[in-house]
Amino acid sequence: MPLPSFYDFCCRVKTISGINTLEQIPSQLANMKAGRPMIISDKGVAATGLIQVVIQALGDQLQIGEVYDQVPVDSDYRVVDDAAKIYRTKGCDAIIAVGGGSVIDTAKGVNIVASLGGDTLLDYEGLGTVKRKLKPLVVVPTTAGTGSEMTLVAVIADPDRKIKMLFPSYFILPDLAVIDPRMTKTLPAALTASTAMDAMTHACEAYYCLEKNPLSDSFAFRAIQLISQHLLKVLQNPADLQGRLALANASAMAGIAFSNSMVGMVHNLGHTVGALCHVPHGVAMSIFLPYGLEYNLHRCADIIGELLFALAGPEIFAATPKSERPEKVVTFIRQMNQDLHTATTGKHPRCLKEVVDRNGAQLVSQSMLPAIAEAIMLDGARLTNPEEFLPTDALTVLSNAWEGSPLDLKKVNKGGSKVNY
Amino acid sequence: MNINKYPEVKPGRKPLKRIYLAIMLWTVGKAIPVAAKVDPEIKKEFEKLPKNFTLRLMVQPERAFPLFFYTKMLPGFVVKNGMLPYGLQMILHIDAQGKVHYQGADPRGKKFDLSMAFKNLEAAMMIFSFRESTPTGYAHDRFVVEGYLPCATTFMRVLDIVQVYLLPKIIAKRAVKRYPKWFEMPPWRKHINRIIIYLRAFTF
Repeated sequence: MPLPSFYDFCCRVKTISGINTLEQIPSQLANMKAGRPMIISDKGVAATGLIQVVIQALGDQLQIGEVYDQVPVDSDYRVVDDAAKIYRTKGCDAIIAVGGGSVIDTAKGVNIVASLGGDTLLDYEGLGTVKRKLKPLVVVPTTAGTGSEMTLVAVIADPDRKIKMLFPSYFILPDLAVIDPRMTKTLPAALTASTAMDAMTHACEAYYCLEKNPLSDSFAFRAIQLISQHLLKVLQNPADLQGRLALANASAMAGIAFSNSMVGMVHNLGHTVGALCHVPHGVAMSIFLPYGLEYNLHRCADIIGELLFALAGPEIFAATPKSERPEKVVTFIRQMNQDLHTATTGKHPRCLKEVVDRNGAQLVSQSMLPAIAEAIMLDGARLTNPEEFLPTDALTVLSNAWEGSPLDLKKVNKGGSKVNY
Repeated sequence: MNINKYPEVKPGRKPLKRIYLAIMLWTVGKAIPVAAKVDPEIKKEFEKLPKNFTLRLMVQPERAFPLFFYTKMLPGFVVKNGMLPYGLQMILHIDAQGKVHYQGADPRGKKFDLSMAFKNLEAAMMIFSFRESTPTGYAHDRFVVEGYLPCATTFMRVLDIVQVYLLPKIIAKRAVKRYPKWFEMPPWRKHINRIIIYLRAFTF
């Protein structure tokens, strides 16, 4: 196993997981000397009644300062500033984020402004601006995929400048992550599939990309195991709370893994098609993951081959010759996408041309591929991909991903043999 | 104990490594503006950056060593270019017309839109002695980036191409993830541009 010459790893989020763990929040907040939290969420979560589930679970032990459910699909600094003002006027002393990635990132932003003072989040843009401990932040994820409850960065948009600002700091890590399967029980089948594949991509890329390290590997490996064992079962039986819990745990573990070892070209392509064509992140991840594995096969075949154990189990791993394991991993992920497509009655797309919006209109046309390929250069995820990834390479991958055909490995530009971690 | 009065721990002098890095930064800094004129890919990358944009590549800590030490050790051009009191830096500026200028190593009076800083001398040596490629250095946390990250990725791509021009293939292969294939950078283009860059950057 390659041991990198240098790595750093940090995860200090207290995690409580299990059925009915929401009820633990008041005592956990009391330990942090807080008793008047502000709940931050979005309209979608509010409509499903999940906020009421949280409020009921909190009972009379806490006085809720405010329920703010105005978070948009893409977190926006103006919403952060607005929520921070309300936090102050209502005299809150903690934040409970109930939602997916956007809600959690917004809550992290609100925590910065509410704790450090000032009127706007823009004052804290850049590295090293958050220098001290913030107010208690409790995160209750309602999707099993983003892993934001374990990451040290908040991505918040500035629509005026048309950019996404990054706020990386160890101080914005949540204090408590509450994983309760009641929160993901009502997640529709297609969303369950795509968010789980998002977590699968976090884990796989953390395992083979350049910042790979043994601590992240452990989290990534177990996350992959849990997802491959439970995802299809949950789709067949959505009320399977144990399965839901396993997926939510896998998402958190994959979050820890990729927060410490970064991601590669799959996220690079995913961020770009997300920004240019509004392809949902999880959908993009599930489509591009087999291509990311294929594209990097020549640089880290033995590492990718190890993933077969987590994906397919010890029997298949042992029965497969070592030289065939890497290709089998790719085949396994493709088959998984096919199974998810079947289980969701076609709602889980297998290739880019199958991605459609709510009205059934295609989101990515073939003519957009060259523009997407050029735009990949602005994303930092390409730096940690094992093989160099340039627009010409991206166009090849995108063309194949659009059609849903495997990569021709002879046409992949190879920069060398084995990668040095 | 008052933390504000705690003495700064200064690293050793390591004069040979400092001289080596000063020369490398100067060489790369002088080569980039010329490369931006002759290489279409570098030109395209710089077009992605905003106008009136100043960036620097530096080795921390800034102003780590006393002036008298350098004046005895370093060649005259280093003194004249203002590299002395501010440690090891390479400053580039993109003007309103999109033209790239090398602005030496003196940061006084400049506001940086992007700053990439090697955390210490040894981290910079790992990259500039080609024991680690730039992406591996990034993965191993050898440097920190202050500013908008997409601009840093653009600049790192520029550094990759410039290294291909400046270095012989056997060394450049260690510095970049993938040495350009013949169809990505035809040999005639590589050799002619290499001669132009060396001549224009270091003669006039």
